[in-house]
Amino acid sequence: MPFKRISQANPLLTLGLIVAAWLLLPTAVKTVARASFFELTAPVTLAASRVRDLQDFWALRARSRTELIEAGRDLARVNASFELAVQQNGELRAEVARLEELLRLSPLRDHRLEHARVARRDFSGWWQRIVIRKGRDHEIPVGAPVVFSGGVVGRVSEVHATTAVVELISSPTMRLAGVVEGDTRPISFQGGVNPTLAPPRGVVELMPLDIIASPAVPKRLVTAGFGGVFPPGLTLGTIIRADLASDGLFKSGEVALDPRLGTLTEVSVLVPVAPASAPVRATP
Amino acid sequence: MAAPSSPTPSGQAPGLTIEQRRAHDPRVTFFHVLVALALVVLASGLAYQQLLKVDTHAEAERVQNQRRIVHPGPRGQILDREGRVLAGNRPRFSVRLLLDALRLEIRTEQIRIRRNYRQLDDAAAGDLPSAVQILQIARATVVQRYLDQVNALIGREEKVDARDLDRHFARELLLPYTLLDNLAPAEYARLLEGLPVNSPAQVHTASVRHHPHNSAAAHALGYVGTGDAGEIEDFPGGDLRTFKMKGTVGRDGIEKRLDDQLQGEAGGAIFRVDPAGNRIHPPLQQVLPRAGQDVRLALDLDLQLAAEARLAETEMAGAAVALDVRTGEVLVLASKPDYDLNTFSPRLSAATAADITARGAWFKRAIQGVYKPGSTFKVLTAVAGLRAGTLDPAAKISCDGSMRVGTRSFSCHDGAAHGEVDLVTAITKSCNVYFYRAGLEMGPEVIAREARRFHLDQPTGIELPDETRRMLIPDPAWKRRLTGEGWASGDTVQLAIGQGFVDVTPLQMACFAASIARDQVWTQPYLLHDPARPPQRHEGTGLNPAQRAALLQGMEQVTQRPHGTARIFQDPRVLAPLPGLRLAAKTGTAQKQDPKGMINFAWLIAFAPVDDPRIAVAVAIEGDTPGEETGGGRYATPVAHAIFKAWLEKRNRPPGLPVQFRNG
Repeated sequence: MPFKRISQANPLLTLGLIVAAWLLLPTAVKTVARASFFELTAPVTLAASRVRDLQDFWALRARSRTELIEAGRDLARVNASFELAVQQNGELRAEVARLEELLRLSPLRDHRLEHARVARRDFSGWWQRIVIRKGRDHEIPVGAPVVFSGGVVGRVSEVHATTAVVELISSPTMRLAGVVEGDTRPISFQGGVNPTLAPPRGVVELMPLDIIASPAVPKRLVTAGFGGVFPPGLTLGTIIRADLASDGLFKSGEVALDPRLGTLTEVSVLVPVAPASAPVRATP
Repeated sequence: MAAPSSPTPSGQAPGLTIEQRRAHDPRVTFFHVLVALALVVLASGLAYQQLLKVDTHAEAERVQNQRRIVHPGPRGQILDREGRVLAGNRPRFSVRLLLDALRLEIRTEQIRIRRNYRQLDDAAAGDLPSAVQILQIARATVVQRYLDQVNALIGREEKVDARDLDRHFARELLLPYTLLDNLAPAEYARLLEGLPVNSPAQVHTASVRHHPHNSAAAHALGYVGTGDAGEIEDFPGGDLRTFKMKGTVGRDGIEKRLDDQLQGEAGGAIFRVDPAGNRIHPPLQQVLPRAGQDVRLALDLDLQLAAEARLAETEMAGAAVALDVRTGEVLVLASKPDYDLNTFSPRLSAATAADITARGAWFKRAIQGVYKPGSTFKVLTAVAGLRAGTLDPAAKISCDGSMRVGTRSFSCHDGAAHGEVDLVTAITKSCNVYFYRAGLEMGPEVIAREARRFHLDQPTGIELPDETRRMLIPDPAWKRRLTGEGWASGDTVQLAIGQGFVDVTPLQMACFAASIARDQVWTQPYLLHDPARPPQRHEGTGLNPAQRAALLQGMEQVTQRPHGTARIFQDPRVLAPLPGLRLAAKTGTAQKQDPKGMINFAWLIAFAPVDDPRIAVAVAIEGDTPGEETGGGRYATPVAHAIFKAWLEKRNRPPGLPVQFRNG
């Protein structure tokens, strides 16, 4: 009987041995194992994402021809307006280049846009992240800014071979230097503690006392460009409240972020372009 | 239906559990009771904790999840009489390191350092540092690691001051350690983005005193030091972990005198924090700090800057004071050398403090410097003689350049014979012989009594701390009391020309000039501005119109060519003209025996316009070279001229136009 009772504890003993072995493993082995886990699970994430894409594709196939014709007509209209915008942008770019040349301004660090599809969203009260379907293979570096049509999405926090984790600006661990549009004084922007289904919010601190913002008179908050990561002028959100902070020196307030942050499907990573003199890393 | 199984070797039927087999086994029953009891205990404990101790747990949860921050209220501003900021506040950004969060890191570093030493066989050689030394090395290494992070972000190459760090650990362990101070906006913006939100190194803001005009009115404004943030009335959360920011306290000047008024009321907030300690907005409770009251000084910034600029040009120590004749409000209170008040924020460095000490810049010459008034005192001697009836304005005496009193010969101020002089000429040319005789005729008690009537023997009571009480109006009784010696005739003639034992401050002489201008015996100076302040009314001087006319005529001629001792007022080659401004003045050159030799002190008292006095000025310049003729006419007059010029420009300026000052 005693022998049989001990044998019943075998699963627990095995678990204990595994835990002990994990604890005793060298740090390097653990790091490799942890990284491998992400790489091994990445195909699952990617497969799920692609299945969703397929699902969307077949859902669209179910649409009638009339609907498709109408959508095509709308798309042509949007394309026409975009073509106009592209022409205007070209003129503005030329004007900016001319002014930079005239004022002898040093050109801003250039970025290459790497478009990526969102594979997974990971939202909680403590962090807000998305996983995108591009990674190290596409030369995406850690810390690279991620944008979409509504402004800043966030910053790349982890990079794996085929995926990358992007920390959203709505995450409380994300902090940026911003400026109120038309102003030059830096303001601290930080993501808020956002409930999962609530509209995303952030907070601003160190805001000069003369800046007034309210829901009736909102102020657009854009990246300051001082930090060297985000180019200046990208939209962060809209300051909808500004109250005197408890230190009496500054104001602090609330920033309404783009509600589309929670439903993103496509984003663009700003990959810094290496200077011409720097050696370009060969892609595998 | 299952076939009956064969008995096992132990004789028990297979397929039955122990409980089924021994349902009534007393040993199993015992365990049933035991487990039931344990469950009851657990259930009771749960009920006790959840129902009876709910308040305790809620309180513990509150203390764990909430943080309280107390900020000092912004200090009130100090403004000049026109509302321009003399001392304000500005935010100061710094990077601070939370030492609490480094304990594990420092411990790990200690172990690593000790292991490294042992591997190097230093222990065997007896070179192994002590435990305290290893701890200090570990602390410096860890802190430098964070400083390197900051350096990399903002492109600096700062190093940790190990001694300063040790001092901080020894004395202020609970407070964050400042890695870098006074960050530029672009630097703190980079750090906001570059430093992780949960890093022990964080950007911190504080309010510091800012003086837009650097050293302007430094001695009058004073400076602040680090103080307590203060308490917030009826603000809960005293038991919460509280971060209390440092406040300021006035240490000198008006900052010290009106500290209660300038001091703001502390504010604070209670935040809920996440497990990493990040604040969750909005705060649960908040009390906004209230700024201290602004203080409006009577000083006129334009006049003050003009006086200080011209004083600085002399490259000598000195002071200048200007008063509004009617109200006694102080328009200028300048003293050189002085110091840049911005060097006190956030704290005065030892090197700067040593430099201020070496230059003698702590000394507030306008209110603390006691000097022999020299010939400016002759105005008082004249008033005393006229009132006593021993001096007739029309009577003339002969000046042959010196006068023998007892066994000693006293010369005139420039050694020249002035010939026949009356009161007007004596004042114009500052004839010593005239006033020697006048002094001897009226006696020292009369002069001393008149000086006391003009309050020259006591502090003025200006709203500043540290005004000296060392001013002195001597008389025979005083000398006997102090030295046991009798009063000599030589003492009287010295007193009559503002030499000998008499000592006054520049502020007192400015009050004296304003009093003479108003034909009264006292002017109370006020450093605080009150737009509704009524004109001062005190006892009159007692001079009849003819006497007063003679006195004013003499003083006006002092500023005029060809004989006035301050005639450079009218010399366009030296000083810019002051069109339409009639000035009355008296220069003075006092001597003082210094270890280096005989030093001259230049004086000038003046007021204007003569027919409707509005502004009175006193200037004193300390000579710095023995034997050098540091005369009032040459050195003090340009400073007074700068003040009058600025005043005149402001008076003639159309409203709303800024005044431009030119040096020269």
